[in-house]
Parts: sequence; C-alpha cells; structure tokens
Amino acid sequence: MPSPRQRQLRTWAFWAVPVLLLFLPLATNAYTQFIVNGMLISVLVTLGFTLVIGNLGQLAFANTAFFGIGAYASAILSAKLGLPWIATIPLAGALGALGGFLASSAALRGIRSYYLAIITLAFGELMRWAYLHSKPLTGGTDGLPLPREAMFGISLSDDTLKFYIFLGVTVLLVKATLNLMRSRFGRAVMAVRENEIATASLAIPTARVILVSFIWSGFVVGCAGALFARHVGHVFPESFGMLHLIASFAMVLVGGLGSVLGAVLGAVLLTALPEYLRAFPGMEELFFGLIVAAVLVTMPMGLASLLRRLSPIFVERYYREES
Amino acid sequence: MLMQLTLGGLAQGAIYALIALSLTVVYRSTTVVNFGHGDFVMAGAFLSYVLVVLAGIAFLPAAALAMIAMFVLGVLFSKGLIRPIRGGPHIGLALMCISAGYVLRGIARMVWGREVLPMPPVFDMEPIFLGDLVITGDAVFIIGTVLVLLILFFGLLALTDLGKMVQAVYQSPRGARLIGLNVERFNDFSWGIGAALGALGGILVAPVSLLHPDLGASFLIKGFAAMTLGGFGSLGGAVLGGILLGLAEQYAGAYLDSALIEITAYVVIVLVLFIRPQGLFGRKAVVKV
Repeated sequence: MPSPRQRQLRTWAFWAVPVLLLFLPLATNAYTQFIVNGMLISVLVTLGFTLVIGNLGQLAFANTAFFGIGAYASAILSAKLGLPWIATIPLAGALGALGGFLASSAALRGIRSYYLAIITLAFGELMRWAYLHSKPLTGGTDGLPLPREAMFGISLSDDTLKFYIFLGVTVLLVKATLNLMRSRFGRAVMAVRENEIATASLAIPTARVILVSFIWSGFVVGCAGALFARHVGHVFPESFGMLHLIASFAMVLVGGLGSVLGAVLGAVLLTALPEYLRAFPGMEELFFGLIVAAVLVTMPMGLASLLRRLSPIFVERYYREES
Repeated sequence: MLMQLTLGGLAQGAIYALIALSLTVVYRSTTVVNFGHGDFVMAGAFLSYVLVVLAGIAFLPAAALAMIAMFVLGVLFSKGLIRPIRGGPHIGLALMCISAGYVLRGIARMVWGREVLPMPPVFDMEPIFLGDLVITGDAVFIIGTVLVLLILFFGLLALTDLGKMVQAVYQSPRGARLIGLNVERFNDFSWGIGAALGALGGILVAPVSLLHPDLGASFLIKGFAAMTLGGFGSLGGAVLGGILLGLAEQYAGAYLDSALIEITAYVVIVLVLFIRPQGLFGRKAVVKV
C-alpha cells in the first residue's frame, strides 16, 4: 500500500508522461510519427486485453472482435452516415461495449476457461465473416475507405494532428482504467480471478463483476478500433484476424499480465519492432512466437514486476505476486 | 446428390475427426488445449510436401517420415517448453501453445512466403461411377486410412497393457503415479502422438487441397468444433464430432448457401456451447474450489 507521499509522486509521474509527449512531434519525422500513433492504439488494445485475461483471469480471445467492431463502426458511421470521425469514437466504443456484453453473456452462462476461449475465438471469426459478406455496408474484401476530413483547417490525414487526438483519448482511457482498477470494483475483479466461488460467498455479485469487466474492455478496445480506422484510413477484414492475437498476447505478457503499467510498456516496446521485420516474410510470426515463449519461461510476471522492484511508485495496489 | 455430399462429408469429416482426436489425446492426458495445433497440422502437410516434391521420396515413406518427425517435435515441445510452466495458470499454457504455432508458421512463411502450393495428386485412380455417384481415389484413400488408423488406435488403447496404462493416466494422474507409472513421460508421449496424428491430418489433406502457411487457423477451429460437438475430452466423441461436422458442412453448403461452409464450424461451436455445453458425449465439468 503506497503512502500518501508515494501516491502524490505517482500522480506526478503519471501526468508527466503525456505532458512530455506533447512535444514529441517536434522530434519526429512522418514515419516515426506514424509508428508512435500506432503505439497509442496498441496501448489501448493491450489494456483492454489485459483487463479480461490478466485482471479477470478469463481466457477470452474476443479482443480482435471488439477491435474490428470499433473500426468498422467508425468507418461506416463516417463514410455512410457522414458523421465527423471524432464523434464516431465514443459510438465505436459503445458498440465495442455491446460486443463485450455479448462475449460476457457466454461467460455468465457458466462457460469458462478453454470453452470461453474457443467460443470467443469463434465470435471473432464470425465477425470477420460478417465483414466479408455484408458488402453494401462494409465493402467486402475491398474494405471501406474513410472520407477525407479536416479539423481546425488541418487535414485529418495529418499524423501530428492525429497524434494529439490519439494521445488525448489514450490518456483519458488509461486514467479511467487505472481508477477503475484501484476502486472497490477493481478489488472485486481480482478476487473473482483468484477464486470465483469464494468471492461469491462474500456476497460480491461475481456475475456483475465479469459483465462490467467485459463491457469496459469492449469499450476501450472499440475506441482503439475507431482510432485504428483513421490511422490507416481504410478498413479491411484481414486486419482483424487471428494474426493480431499473438501480437496482443506478446504485449500483455512482456509488460506483465494484469497490470495497467505493463500493458502500456508492452505495447510501446513491441509496436515498433515488427515494423522493421515486415520486410522479411515470416520474421514477424517467428519473433512474436519466440518472445512469448521466452517470457513465459523466464519472466512470468513481465517487465512491470521489474519496475515494481525498482521503485514503490510503480506498485499497483493489487496484483498477483510471483508464484 | 445426397449420396455424393455424404461421401464428400465423410472424407472431410475423417480429417476433422483425426485432428479432433489428436487434440483430445493431448487434452485428456495433460489438460492442455493445444491452441497451436492447427500449425502442427500445417507443419505435417509441409513436411510431406518437402519430402515428396523436393526430396523425391514416394508418398507413403514420406508420410511416415513426416509423422515421425512431428512425433519427435511434439515430445521435445512437451519436455522443453510445457514442463517448465506446468502448474502455472492455464493462460500461460494456452499462450505457450499459441506461440509454438506461430514459430512453426513463421518458419513455413520464411521458406514459402505467401505462395500457395499445389501438391501432386497421390492416387491417380480412375474415379468409379455408381449411377450418379462419383467415387474418387482420394476419398477412398482418406476414409480408408483414417478408418484403419482409428481401429488401430482404439484397439491398442483397449487391448494392450500400454493402452491400459495410458487410460490409467487419463483417469487419474495421481493414482497412476502412485502405482509407479512415470506420468511425465506419458504426457510427453501424448504430445508426440497428438502431434503425429495431427500431422497425418495435414498429410492427407495435402494432395487434395492447396498448401499455404496460414492453413493452421482453419484446422484448429474445425478441430475445436468437432471436439465441442462430440464432448470435450471424449476420444470417441471427437471422432463422431469430426464426422458430423464434415457432413454438416457439405449439407449446409449445398442446401443453404455455399458461403456457409466457412462458418459452419463456428456456428456449431456457438450453438453447442449455448445449448448443451457438455456436447454429445461429455460429462458436465465440476468446478473445484
């Protein structure tokens, strides 16, 4: 448990990062800026993922589905209904949350562990099939381009402008998630992970805890999907397949399962590397596969656990100790 | 028409049955679901391709060699990567399997990139015409091989001492350990058998379809669907589930919509888990505190 002084220090440390990042576009070129924007999206996806598999301890792979739902919702709303892209972000989040509700309806029916993993995997693949086969809405295999748009007289294809918007959304959602995990609710989530039956016996409504976790995870990842749609400017069904799953896993694991700080660290570290590996076929898969295996065997609690040892600022109040 | 679809469904279903059975062999002994299994299947198919097309070996010895290689790989995977993290959370085990699959896929992609490879047909038998029904050599070969293999597998399991020991390990690892069985070694052995059986699925598919490094994902889902339908952890259920899934795909594709073939497996998974989670032959899982 951090002391008030440590808590204050932690708040400073938290806000220092986005403030420093405000100056980042001065130091980047267009390509680096593009990658940095991608990192912010990865942070949100990893965050949503670790909420369910790390904090709640459920093997659920519906993440790619939430991401796809958010991206397609954003693209369809702005391309077909003419909504300004920025307004589609919360709507995409809301639809992602609906996806989270659907996924948790399986969990609430007593489907757990491998069954939940398999049904959520099927959910993601069914969504991908739906994008492919609802051509009038999604453009089928051709995908759906986002309309050109401008804000404050600057085109929304400008990576610097996108960076500030992405940064705002990311900081907001990371802060909200941190607060959520430090609240009574967050403690209930960890209790469900450690022992669901014992938690239920303490009159904690475990079903509601699971439901809300999935919904929040869906919301965060749905918002990330809306950012992704603008980031690449064109959404394709292939972007939301199983390929992204292992990258998300690697990010979650390298950072540390069930840690908000870990999610951020893992996502930032592992987004840039594959960009340089993309030129060599197969290297990306090999790299992520090897890194996950290596981390699992050598460092099951990820980088966040190393930071915790360095300084008490990084202690998140509730986490699973290394076993 | 119906007969033709049934034959096609049986040939497809035989392969799904093999994949589901190989997943179940590993699951029953180690309680690990191999989420990278599709890529093991893909690796088997590619190995046989390399041995037949590039090394010029005849199909049958090539298939045997590929299965032996995959057996060794399965044992090594179990010894080197699964053992150190056993006893940890099941998320870790699932991730280890996924990452192993990705390594295999990465290797395949490094060699073949995004090319799609055709395998030369193995049995250039003249198709047999029975009225409207066309029986191809491939269908006969696939169904025949799987049938022989299943008889062999279940025969060994039920009749030999080794089979009884394996069953003992399935029933209660602790009890088996108490009577002096080396459970760890049986687990490694199960991983090897699982990998080899899965590889055979890939080897049988290779001559009738195109090969590409991303083959694994669809096999994995088919295997899961068959397992879920038959009842998770039931060996016989996996076989029956696979065959039913093969038939369901063919019928749904022909009588409803051809686009449905791709998602029959997903629909089966979702429906079974919501209506009868224990599947046709499974028992209800008991949660322990």
